[in-house]
Amino acid sequence: MTASRVARLRVRIPLLRPKRPRPTGPPRVAGSLLRLSLALAIGYGALAAGLVHWQVLEASRLTNDPLNPLVLAAARNAPRGSIFDSTGKVLAHNVGGSGEPLREYPYFVAAPVVGYRSTIFGTAGLENTYDAQLTGLVSLRPGDELLRKFRDQPYNPSDLMTSLDVELQRVGVDLLGDQRGAVVAIEPTTGRVLALVSSPTFNPNRIVDPQNGRRYVADLREREDSPLLNRSTQGLYVPGSVFKIVTAIAGLGSGAIAATTKFEDQPEEYETGFLVQGFRIRDFPRRVQLDHPLNFYEATEVSSNIWFAHAGLETGPDALSDYASRLGFGLRIPFELPTSPSQVTGGDGPLSGFRDEVELANAAYGQGEVLVTPLQMALVASTVANDGLLMRPKLVDELRATDGSVTTLGPSGWSQVISPFDAQIISDAMQLAVEGPFGRDLAGSAKVPGIPTAGKSGTAELGGDAAPHSWFIGFAPADAPQIAVAVIVEGGGAGAQRAVPMAGDLMTHYLTGN
Amino acid sequence: MTAAARALYAVGIRPHFRWRELGLLVVVSAALVAGWASLSSFRAGELALGEAGLLVSYLALAFAIHVAFVITGRRMDQILFPTATMLAGISLLLMQRLPQDLVEQSIAGRDLTLAPLQLVWIASGFVILAALAIFVRSDGWLRRYKYTWAAAGIGLLLLVFLFGEVTGGARLTLRIGPLAGQPSELLKVILVVFLAGYLAENRALLSASSTRIGRLQLPPLPYMLPMLAMWGIALAIVIVQRDLGAALLYFLVFLALLYVATRRASYVVLGLVMFVAGGAVLYGLFPHVQDRINIWIDPFSDPQGAGYQIIRAMYAYGRGGILGTGLGAGLPQVGNVPSIPAIHTDFVFAALAEEMGMLGGLALLGLYALIAQRGFRIAATAADDFRALLATGLTLVVVIQAAIICGGNLRVVPLTGITLPLISYGGSSILVNGAVIGLLLALSDRGVEPPPPGTRPNVVRRLGRRARGLGGRVEEALS
Repeated sequence: MTASRVARLRVRIPLLRPKRPRPTGPPRVAGSLLRLSLALAIGYGALAAGLVHWQVLEASRLTNDPLNPLVLAAARNAPRGSIFDSTGKVLAHNVGGSGEPLREYPYFVAAPVVGYRSTIFGTAGLENTYDAQLTGLVSLRPGDELLRKFRDQPYNPSDLMTSLDVELQRVGVDLLGDQRGAVVAIEPTTGRVLALVSSPTFNPNRIVDPQNGRRYVADLREREDSPLLNRSTQGLYVPGSVFKIVTAIAGLGSGAIAATTKFEDQPEEYETGFLVQGFRIRDFPRRVQLDHPLNFYEATEVSSNIWFAHAGLETGPDALSDYASRLGFGLRIPFELPTSPSQVTGGDGPLSGFRDEVELANAAYGQGEVLVTPLQMALVASTVANDGLLMRPKLVDELRATDGSVTTLGPSGWSQVISPFDAQIISDAMQLAVEGPFGRDLAGSAKVPGIPTAGKSGTAELGGDAAPHSWFIGFAPADAPQIAVAVIVEGGGAGAQRAVPMAGDLMTHYLTGN
Repeated sequence: MTAAARALYAVGIRPHFRWRELGLLVVVSAALVAGWASLSSFRAGELALGEAGLLVSYLALAFAIHVAFVITGRRMDQILFPTATMLAGISLLLMQRLPQDLVEQSIAGRDLTLAPLQLVWIASGFVILAALAIFVRSDGWLRRYKYTWAAAGIGLLLLVFLFGEVTGGARLTLRIGPLAGQPSELLKVILVVFLAGYLAENRALLSASSTRIGRLQLPPLPYMLPMLAMWGIALAIVIVQRDLGAALLYFLVFLALLYVATRRASYVVLGLVMFVAGGAVLYGLFPHVQDRINIWIDPFSDPQGAGYQIIRAMYAYGRGGILGTGLGAGLPQVGNVPSIPAIHTDFVFAALAEEMGMLGGLALLGLYALIAQRGFRIAATAADDFRALLATGLTLVVVIQAAIICGGNLRVVPLTGITLPLISYGGSSILVNGAVIGLLLALSDRGVEPPPPGTRPNVVRRLGRRARGLGGRVEEALS
């Protein structure tokens, strides 16, 4: 064969090929090659798409997968960032130079937030959420991912600067003592979480102990008071009267009620009870303001179930559900720790989930099927304190990488739940509930000396002979809030007995240092 | 004509310079040296080239082959060989990077580990490549004895059926004395040779007349027999050898060649329907087929068992990201255990994608696409149908095989154990794929340049002509 005899064939795009009379005989091989190339191109395109899928779109998820042994192996050998509180106190760090470093937690009171990192049990808390950043395997900034390849140290572990105030946290733990319950404190204007107490809690130093960790964890798991459960974000409680603030937000926000709204039958209903479809709603016995229909301020101050049942019915199931979901009810609140969704209703009834008006009326003052997490109720108080703007709760302010780069995680608004005007009305009512002449009986002990304080106590009836949960939500200073709190003591009796003074001590400590 | 050139011609050497190939080889060498330096520097903690002996030997061989091409004056494709050099060079780099104790074998009294062994295979493969590219001047020995080749292939298959050793759940390895190999690699070349001969001969009949069943146009029934036989062989390989990858490769190459020869989409559709039907039956009958499909769909259903390998590969992709961890900075082993089983053979693509990242993976796919482009170009400019089909088929066995294993690694298709051509560790694979590239190069030769007046014919060419004459006589005697 010589070159001259070879017919030089070229693959051409069919559309551009001039029409020629169809040659007889089988089609030329060269023509089929174009279509074969197309098929191959599709196949190789799918492979390229596969690469992009795993190495770009899914890369972060795969790298953070807790089962990923490469992550575990790298984490064992690589240094790990420390965790600090907002005043610079070390909450978690590595100790021991030779061999595999051990994790130490100087403040075990921070356990529900910081969690632990154990070679046996994996990670929990912030140690889990920020595992990849603490080990330096990934950074929150995509640009760093690219730059990292060119550094001599491929891992760039970050320290976590948290918003936690470990002294406030300790006060919360001490106040709860051996009682079961939870405390959440938030900075209303930013959503920074200042304290997150769950009682009883565990000692992370004993979990990470290589010798006795297994036995300790086995004991913790067997205990009936579940110390491993983070009550502040995952415990679901009947809220009682503290939920009236949610009803007020929904009623005022939707325009169904106003600050001056009165229900004319109310004075006599104090004697007879408010009859909703055969169910009788009663107020707690009180000595005051029995002679006239209450307005919103008075009803909040004396915590009238009947007024709020009326208000809930006026507001209606749709608006109540709607405003509750704006506050975060019904979803796992996006947060750096696992959260349970709070609920306004069991959810299977025809009235936006409510079975009937009885359930709606009961829900309006925090009974019915309402179940809340302490974090959710702290967000309710925080929303009122922050002119109706709900901030996203957050724990980590800053990531400080070993290479000196700092990533700031600034505050971000979540939703404007109600107008600042309506928020001011509720704030005033809550201040009356703490400081007013009649409110003082119920929640006066939450008052921060010398500082205007707003709040709402609650006594959550559980039915049967069980002692009610003692609740308080509130904030201070009422005119320029710096701290919003939610306190619950399981089976603590009436709000005034346990939760209210604790919240007062907590806010006082934070604002005055005493 | 200079005096020097005349002197060369006088001793039978008629050089044809290959500047583009030389330029590309320089680029490839630079890339490989950079890769080697990157790996050595990472390990040493400072700029270093480490034990560069392996790489230097490899590059020396590649340039020697280039010089041989030049001296023998062959006018072949100039891009294919540098592409193969890059692929095999990446292979050497990866084998040098992976834990050396993955493979240990004694050759000629010396105990070798992973990277030196792979260099032995690559060097052998390149010698075969060069020998085929330089000395194959006629395709008669392939064209005329297609049924002999087919018989040899079936014989090889039967030998594996009867005497094959089981490795990794599949009956793949044939051992004759001290030599062990995987005949399925060789079989793919034999298959292409047979199909090219058969289809070139019967192309007109296959594409013209047809049997109609309803709206479906089928080939004339007698000519469907090879198609059915091919289908049966593929199924038999799955059943007896449990070698899903090879069966898939053979069948896809067969369908693609059938289409190229006839341009009848109905054959492809029919073939795919038969394939899916066969696959469905096999799925029902054989647990190992079920496993493959189930693991493909949800590897996390059995993360510590059947899904282990693919899950580990996915983690490696995640670690790699866009640019990769860098050579040496990945984690192909945890402690003394390889993080992905078969990381040097079936999952070498995952090792590459971890350390060289998405860009490295895309570049590798691009190299195979380049082979496809060169191969199809050779086919499109071939002198006749047989050569065109042969070039197409040889190209396809490389690029489809690469696609099958990369797709399996990437969970684009179910995983089937098969090597990544010119990259995976393994003698049989490297030798056969070297031979495939060598044949493609030989097919791309545009013939010797006409001799300048007054010189003697090229010695090599004379030898080739003599050999061809001998072959022709033997052939006549047989027929």
